[in-house]
Amino acid sequence: MLLEFSIWLSETEWSIALHESLYLYPWIESAHVLSICFFIGTLIFVDLRLMGLAFNKLSISEMNSKTLPWTIFGFGLMVLTGLLLFYAIPVRTYQNIFFRFKLFLILLGGINIFLFHRQMSKEGGKWDEENIPRSVHIKASVSLVLWAGVIISGRMIAYNWFDCDRQPQPDWVNWAASCMIELSQMEDF
Amino acid sequence: MKIILRIIFCLFFGAFAFQIYAHHAFTAEFDPNAPINITGKVVKVEWINPHAWVHVEVEDESGKTVWMVEGGTPNTLIRNGITKKTLLPGTIIIVRGYQSKGRLCLPICIANGRDVTFPDGSKVFMGSSGTGAPRDGTDPRELKRE
Repeated sequence: MLLEFSIWLSETEWSIALHESLYLYPWIESAHVLSICFFIGTLIFVDLRLMGLAFNKLSISEMNSKTLPWTIFGFGLMVLTGLLLFYAIPVRTYQNIFFRFKLFLILLGGINIFLFHRQMSKEGGKWDEENIPRSVHIKASVSLVLWAGVIISGRMIAYNWFDCDRQPQPDWVNWAASCMIELSQMEDF
Repeated sequence: MKIILRIIFCLFFGAFAFQIYAHHAFTAEFDPNAPINITGKVVKVEWINPHAWVHVEVEDESGKTVWMVEGGTPNTLIRNGITKKTLLPGTIIIVRGYQSKGRLCLPICIANGRDVTFPDGSKVFMGSSGTGAPRDGTDPRELKRE
């Protein structure tokens, strides 16, 4: 179903125009990287502050209220440019194991952010005066690891070692990338 | 203590940044010790960012082999003089380049393109310049090795 959707997307006029474009594609790519700097860059400093490793003289509430708009701006631009990059090359990206792994990490990162914000809205007011609880330290370090993983797996999407049109691949790759079409074509050779 | 932690942190991320920079596409996928020189017919050109692919059908005694040759971005190709009009399917071209590390031709051979020679004898580079491919000195735009 998603594969059919990707194939349909890849045949639309704008998708072709995007991946053939002389300037737009590199511009979108650059904007995507820049948006990651805003999103993950601000997030890293909040994480470090929560772990007591940076900006310790700033109160957490002040740090948070100042950086959050930038984090949200970065996230919005990141999603928008990311969707456009997917739209430019839908089928290959959909079948890319690094892309799938990255989406999984983003999901985990999102859950982590949700848990953190729920905890902060409950008891965050106390963190400015009292010690930050251990559970917050854990969430901050999990956040650092997950978002670093998102960047690394995002970069790996560019490499085509595990692409479906490169066979033979180990079974787990074909399974993880759902390479059905390529495998059925392979039998003709 | 905190300063030491901060320094360790910076070094850690700095090392990462350097590794990713050094981990270049050419050396990751192509073998500088496996140069190719093929003559064949263009069967398909995929004008795709960030790398265009030219499919070349090579015929010899053993039969037909299709080579997928990687070029630069569409922008790079057009600046070098390769356009949708000059690289039409059916054109006979000579491609110099480097084969993929696996050297497996399953189902088709994959290579990185260095330059293309057209039927009229004109020769243009197809985007491997400055990407980590061996600098063979033919492209004057490339900086000399330090």
